[in-house]
Amino acid sequence: MALQVYTASLLKEGLVAYLTLENGSPSWTPDIRLATAGTDAELEALKLAAEQSELENHVVAPYAIDVLETEAGYVASTKREQIRASGPTIRLPQDAVRASRKAA
Amino acid sequence: MYQYSEQDHQLLLERVAQFRGQVERRVKGDLSEEEFKHQRLRNGLYLQLHAYMLRVAIPYGLLSSDQMRTLAHIARKYDKGYGHFSTRQNIQYNWPKLEDVPDILDDLAKVEMHAIQTSGNCIRNTTSDPLAGVARDEVEDPRPYCELIRQWSTFHPEFNFLPRKFKIAVSGAIHDRAAVAVHDIGLRLIKNDNGETGFEVLVGGGLGRTPMIGKTIRPFLPKQDMLTYLEAILRVYNQLGRRDNLYKARIKILVHETGEEKFRELVEAEWEKIKTSGLFIRDEDFAWIKGFFKDPEYESLPDQDGDYENLLLSNPDFARWADKNIELHKQPGYRIVYLSLKTAHQPPGDVTADQMDAIADLADKYSLGQIRTTHRQNLVLSDVKLKDLPALWEELVALDLATPNYNHVTDIISCPGLDYCALATARSIPISQAITERFDDHDYVNDLGDVSINISGCINACGHHHVANIGILGVNKKGTEVYQLTLGGSAREDAAIGKIIGPAFEADQIVDAIDKVLSVYLENREDPEETFLTTYRRLGQPLFKERLYG
Repeated sequence: MALQVYTASLLKEGLVAYLTLENGSPSWTPDIRLATAGTDAELEALKLAAEQSELENHVVAPYAIDVLETEAGYVASTKREQIRASGPTIRLPQDAVRASRKAA
Repeated sequence: MYQYSEQDHQLLLERVAQFRGQVERRVKGDLSEEEFKHQRLRNGLYLQLHAYMLRVAIPYGLLSSDQMRTLAHIARKYDKGYGHFSTRQNIQYNWPKLEDVPDILDDLAKVEMHAIQTSGNCIRNTTSDPLAGVARDEVEDPRPYCELIRQWSTFHPEFNFLPRKFKIAVSGAIHDRAAVAVHDIGLRLIKNDNGETGFEVLVGGGLGRTPMIGKTIRPFLPKQDMLTYLEAILRVYNQLGRRDNLYKARIKILVHETGEEKFRELVEAEWEKIKTSGLFIRDEDFAWIKGFFKDPEYESLPDQDGDYENLLLSNPDFARWADKNIELHKQPGYRIVYLSLKTAHQPPGDVTADQMDAIADLADKYSLGQIRTTHRQNLVLSDVKLKDLPALWEELVALDLATPNYNHVTDIISCPGLDYCALATARSIPISQAITERFDDHDYVNDLGDVSINISGCINACGHHHVANIGILGVNKKGTEVYQLTLGGSAREDAAIGKIIGPAFEADQIVDAIDKVLSVYLENREDPEETFLTTYRRLGQPLFKERLYG
C-alpha cells in the first residue's frame, strides 16, 4: 500500500492543509513536507483524526493522497496534488506585470 | 445602464444579511458543510483547488467605472490583487476567505452587483454582445431584453432547482459575438420578411463532454413573447430534464433524446397555455426598461481626424493596434476599442487591481464611464472619440493592455485549468502563454489573420475548445498532461464543433503542433483574405493530419 497523508481545505480560509499527528494530537499545516504519513493502521488513525477535525469545523472535505518520501520530506505523487501543494505554476498577475516592466 | 430600484437594493441587502448569518452559523458549526454548500454555491462561492473562489455576476457584460473600481478594491482588500474575467462575462476572485465574503458581497451591493445565481442549478447570468448598442451591424439593442431576462430569472421560484445549470445568451447583431449557438438558450434578434423585429430561438446548445450546436425551435418569435416563451422552454426542461445522471441533465440532452420536433411541440403546447400571462411584454413596460439603455448624447463629429490619420502613417505600432483592436461605431466620429487581456506573461482574462482602477479612469476620461466584458475574455471601451484614440493608445500601452491581437492567434481563450480548478485534469494557462510567446512576431500574427485558439483543462470545456478554429483539450493520460487538438470549430454565426485531428501531444510538443497547423494553412490558403476556418473547411483534415503525424 502506498504511503499516504491526509489533506483538506481550512474552513475559514479555504486554503490547502495537511494533517500532522503528534502523540495523538492533530494539527494542520500548509506544508506537505511536514505532514504525517502512514499506511494501514497509521493511516486509519490519520483518517479518524481528519474526520474529527471536519466534525469540529476546522477543515472541509479531507481525503488521503499518495506521497513519496524524499530527503526534503513528503511530495505528492500526482501532478494535481503537487500543484495543490505548491500553488499555481504560473506567476500571479501582479508579479507578472512587475517582472514584465522590469524586463522592459 | 439599468439603475437599481429601492426594491432591488433592499433585495440585495437582505440577501447579504442572510448569507452573513449562514457563514456565521457555518463557522460556529451550526451548519454542516453539506448544508452550507448549497447556500454558498447560490452565492457564487466555490471551494477550488487552492482556496475559495467567488464568481461575481456582470449582467450581460456591462460595467460602470464605479463598479470596476469596486472590483479593484475587492481584489486589493480581500484577494491577491487581481481578478479573472471569464468566458461568461463574469469576474472571478481566486483567494477570498470565507469570513470576508459577506463583506465583499456588501461592497458589491453598494454598486448594484452581486454573486447570486453565478453557480448552482439555476438560470445563470445572461450574456450578450459586448458591442450591444454601438455596433454597426446591429438589428436592435439586446440589452433591454437581457435586463428583462435578468429580472425574470433572478430568484424565479419555479426555476430555482433545475436539473442542471442553465445559460442564456442574446445577440442583437448580424455577427454573433455572444456565442449564442452554444448556450442552453440562444436568442438572436432578427427581422422577418415584414420588417418586424423578433427572435430566432435556439435551444440545446452547449459544450462540455457532449458538445452540441443549438437547434432553432422557432425561426421567429415576436419580441413581446420573449419571456412567456422562455418560461415555456424552462418549464418543459424542468419537468422532463434528467435528474438521475449529472452528465445527461443539461437541456441539450433532453432536446437530443426527445427529438427537435417533439421538443418544439412540447414547448409550443406549454406556451399556448401561458402566452397571454403577465409575462407578456407590454409596450409601456418595455419602454421603461429601454429608457435605461438610451443612446448617450453623442457629439456630431467628423468621421475623420487628421492627427489620427497622421499617426497611422507615422507609427507602425499604433497602426497595427488600430487595425486589430478598433471597430467602427454606429455613430460617426466614434470608435469601439478592445482592451486586450492577452499577453505572454499574464493569464488570459486576468487583470490586476491597479489595471482595473486605471481602466475605470480611462472609461471616465474617454468612453462615457462604461466598460464591457467579452466572452473572449477581453474588455471593451465602447464610445471613444476618434480624435482621442492616439492618447488612449498611449495610456493602454503603458498599462500593457494594447497587445494588437483581437481575434488573432494570440487572443486565446483559456480556462483556469489545473493551476486553479478542482475539476481540471491538465494545465491550460502555461500552454496559452507558451503559444503567445512563440507567436510574438506581429507581422506573422497579422499574416495569419482571423483565427481563434481556445484551451480547456478538462472535458468540461470551460475554455470553449470545441468551438475554436484550433481547439486544445488538456487531459491526464497515465499521470502525464497531454493535449488533444480539434480543428474547424466556430462560436460565431457559422457555429460548428471542431473535430479531433488525432492522438494527443505532450506539453512540450503542443506549440510545435500548432505551428504546423498554421503552416499548412499559410501554404494552402487561396489568398491572404481566406481565413484559417475557410481554408480548413475547403481542405478538410488530411493535409493537417499528414503534417502533424505523417
